[in-house]
Amino acid sequence: MAKPDELANPLREGIRLRRTPEPCAMAIFGASGDLTERKLVPALYYLTRERLLPAGFSVIGCSRTPYTHEQFREKMRHAVTEHLRLPGDESEAFVGSFGKGVFYISDNFGDAAAYDQLKALLDQLDQERGTGGNRLFYLSTPPSFFPVIVQHLGATGLAKPKLLGETWTRIIIEKPFGRDLASARDLNRVVTSVFAEEQVYRIDHYLGKETVQNLLVFRFANGIFEPFWNRRYIDHVQLAVAEDLGVENRGSYYEEAGLLRDMIQNHVLQLLSLVAMEPPATFEATAVRDEKAKVLRSVRPIPLDRVNEFAVRGQYSEGWVGGQKVPAYRAEPKVSPASTTETFAALKLYIDNWRWADVPFYLRSGKRLPKRVSEISIQFRGVPHLLFRGAGAEGIEPNVLSLRIQPNEGITLKFCAKLPGTTMQIRPVQMEFRYGDSFGAVPPTAYETLLLDCMLGDATLFNRDDAAELSWELMEPVLERWKQDDSTGLAFYEAGTWGPAEADAFIERDQRHWMRL
Amino acid sequence: MQKTQTLALGEPRPVNLAALEAELSALWRSAAEDPSARDVVTRACALTLLAYVESEEEGRQASNLIRLVTEQNPCRAIVIIAEPHAAPAGLTASLSAHCHLAAMGGKQVCCEQITLRARGEAVENLDNVVLPLTVSGLPVHLWWRASRFAPPAYVDQILRVADHLIVDSTRFANPETDLRDLATWLQGSSRPLAVTDLNWARITPWRELLAQCFDSSERRPYLDRLTEVRIEYEQESARLVTQRAQSLLLAGWLASRLGWVFLEQSAPAESGLHRFLFRSGERPVRVESVARRFEGGGSGVCFSIELKADNSSPAVFSLTRGPDGRVVQTHAEVLGLAPVGRAVRLEVLEEVEILNEELMLASRDRIYEETLNMVARLTGSNN
Repeated sequence: MAKPDELANPLREGIRLRRTPEPCAMAIFGASGDLTERKLVPALYYLTRERLLPAGFSVIGCSRTPYTHEQFREKMRHAVTEHLRLPGDESEAFVGSFGKGVFYISDNFGDAAAYDQLKALLDQLDQERGTGGNRLFYLSTPPSFFPVIVQHLGATGLAKPKLLGETWTRIIIEKPFGRDLASARDLNRVVTSVFAEEQVYRIDHYLGKETVQNLLVFRFANGIFEPFWNRRYIDHVQLAVAEDLGVENRGSYYEEAGLLRDMIQNHVLQLLSLVAMEPPATFEATAVRDEKAKVLRSVRPIPLDRVNEFAVRGQYSEGWVGGQKVPAYRAEPKVSPASTTETFAALKLYIDNWRWADVPFYLRSGKRLPKRVSEISIQFRGVPHLLFRGAGAEGIEPNVLSLRIQPNEGITLKFCAKLPGTTMQIRPVQMEFRYGDSFGAVPPTAYETLLLDCMLGDATLFNRDDAAELSWELMEPVLERWKQDDSTGLAFYEAGTWGPAEADAFIERDQRHWMRL
Repeated sequence: MQKTQTLALGEPRPVNLAALEAELSALWRSAAEDPSARDVVTRACALTLLAYVESEEEGRQASNLIRLVTEQNPCRAIVIIAEPHAAPAGLTASLSAHCHLAAMGGKQVCCEQITLRARGEAVENLDNVVLPLTVSGLPVHLWWRASRFAPPAYVDQILRVADHLIVDSTRFANPETDLRDLATWLQGSSRPLAVTDLNWARITPWRELLAQCFDSSERRPYLDRLTEVRIEYEQESARLVTQRAQSLLLAGWLASRLGWVFLEQSAPAESGLHRFLFRSGERPVRVESVARRFEGGGSGVCFSIELKADNSSPAVFSLTRGPDGRVVQTHAEVLGLAPVGRAVRLEVLEEVEILNEELMLASRDRIYEETLNMVARLTGSNN
């Protein structure tokens, strides 16, 4: 057998060539769903077109809808042209070429014969399109199917690499990864009984966003920030993920999930761990994920009987968003008129370690807020002694470093400056860096980044089993208490506002206020 | 798209360094105080870009490109127009500013440009003028935009403080000679310097696509079985020199990466044909580079490269860009495997797009340096 360095491709040497994965095929379970059409296939199309995927790369859609290869191909061609990232990117040459690598298998996810058929098609693609025996499975079905699919993949022998040591097999699991700690543990148990942990990529598309990745660069590639990144200089941290949309047509899902499960348990806690983590030993998956898990382990658990001190929940009522009148959550399709599901949540967490002791982290997320914006704000402590008295001091505000994740990704630092003139008047000013202005280039979408990372075997931006369970563990008391309280404590806010008044009171109790987003 | 405006600030006048700096300060002060200005003016500078040209017309072209460069790479630009054979001798300078509104409105970001015109023997003093004008603490990039690569002594002095030399072998009148001269100069350079050839950057996607052909473990062994490489480019187009230089760089890259030993260049058997003979172990390898007519061609974007393995296990790998200029068809045929082909995007990039990227990524490129050395060997055999 050839040694690995004998198989290295000498044409790949050189820093300027981009990383491209080995030849492979990808099977998407739940391929007739919205995610495949809106995100996954357009991402794969761009990666192919931009020469980032290997020649012969093939996609197999697996779903219950009975399509032929050609029908599914046509649907995906339509998806590509409908969901272009950049206008004018469709070209028959590219779309047609991409379409040649698209296949379909009708599968109700519980039928062993369909997995045999999938195995045969994958083998055929290895022969015909040179996909090299490398396989990526993507679970984009409703979560209840995850265990069934995983077990069938195991039973058919598809979970193991085709040639041990020479080919790879990986699986991406979409969120939600469980609906509470017990179900997350159960799912982990099933998944890891079939796949080795290093084969498993739990996806949270938030981690594929450029600004989220830039957070690591910002913290660990700049010497000037790290010395201030601790309890000595930071007063508190706010993490906000606001959406102007309601639940759209996901009423029945949302009734089961609620905002805490949908946003805080995954996206917001991921952001928290990146903001608060210690510098990893290397920028490799294990080291980065170790540090992220350490943060979650250090978060002070919220006692069941004190949940209301640390969390607020709300639900939107009728209101106006973007000039349009929108219904109350309880009037949305497939939502109970007496629903107590939260569409807004605010939490205060403490991280009990040397770096962050006593620094509150305020987490806030909601639906039907005035605009779609995600931002991390680090508010620094005030100066130890105020020199400027009287009128001059009125304009003094604390320094705030804001990392905008979406939209208009960028970084802003607010500091005080003297207004020109003979009197001492002070006003806050902002120093601003915007990705779009500074680099011009349109960054890849989160799914493009994450799919490529997975094919390259880089799990840095994916969630590990321990982190998935730890984040559920932190949410357990809140979920339990809110379930017990039912409608007691559920505050209402008018759609198009920044959440219930109770949320303002929640942070004002600490003599702080929410950042204006 | 940002809207960029260039403001000329006064007529060219004899160089007086102290006065130049004072004028620059006055320029920014007046811009900040202008009550009619709708937006705040912000001066931005991340690097010094020195552009070296040899005529007034090339100076204008460079200025137009710098205007676009400043949108992504805010800098102090110094355009050096050196005309050693022009009269009367003298050195003059003029100032201008490139301003653009940041996307989403708001601040007007401006960068300054100093244009130096040196005629006759005054060119000998250029280094003394240019060096004090570089911005302290920021990287210095020298963009060599002349038709030959032959830096005179005063440019050598500038290169001693530069971090990055940018050339474009497209602009070389005779790429065979100038690439060789560049290789020789680089070997003799006393300090490590990042060197970028914009034409090398143009072929990066081609190299990437060729590398992809051999990524799978089934196809990787064919790299050690290659016996023929044929590169074809358009005979009749304004981009003939660009493509000729590209074909040389591709041949040099393949040979250097695959450890081929250069034997000889056989005399051109037909118009535009270059044939290089190599040895890889016991196996002979022939590389041909030929200019020919392409159907629908003429714009200089058609290009193809084909790699063949020996008869014992025949295989063909090819990349072809047609007159459309955006689409490259890839094709791979290996004995025992079904042929695989696809279409990928590979647009012809404008000079300014590549320049902007190279300014951001400036670093030494060992692969380019080894390629250049191989090109020097290939082209040296002619002389």
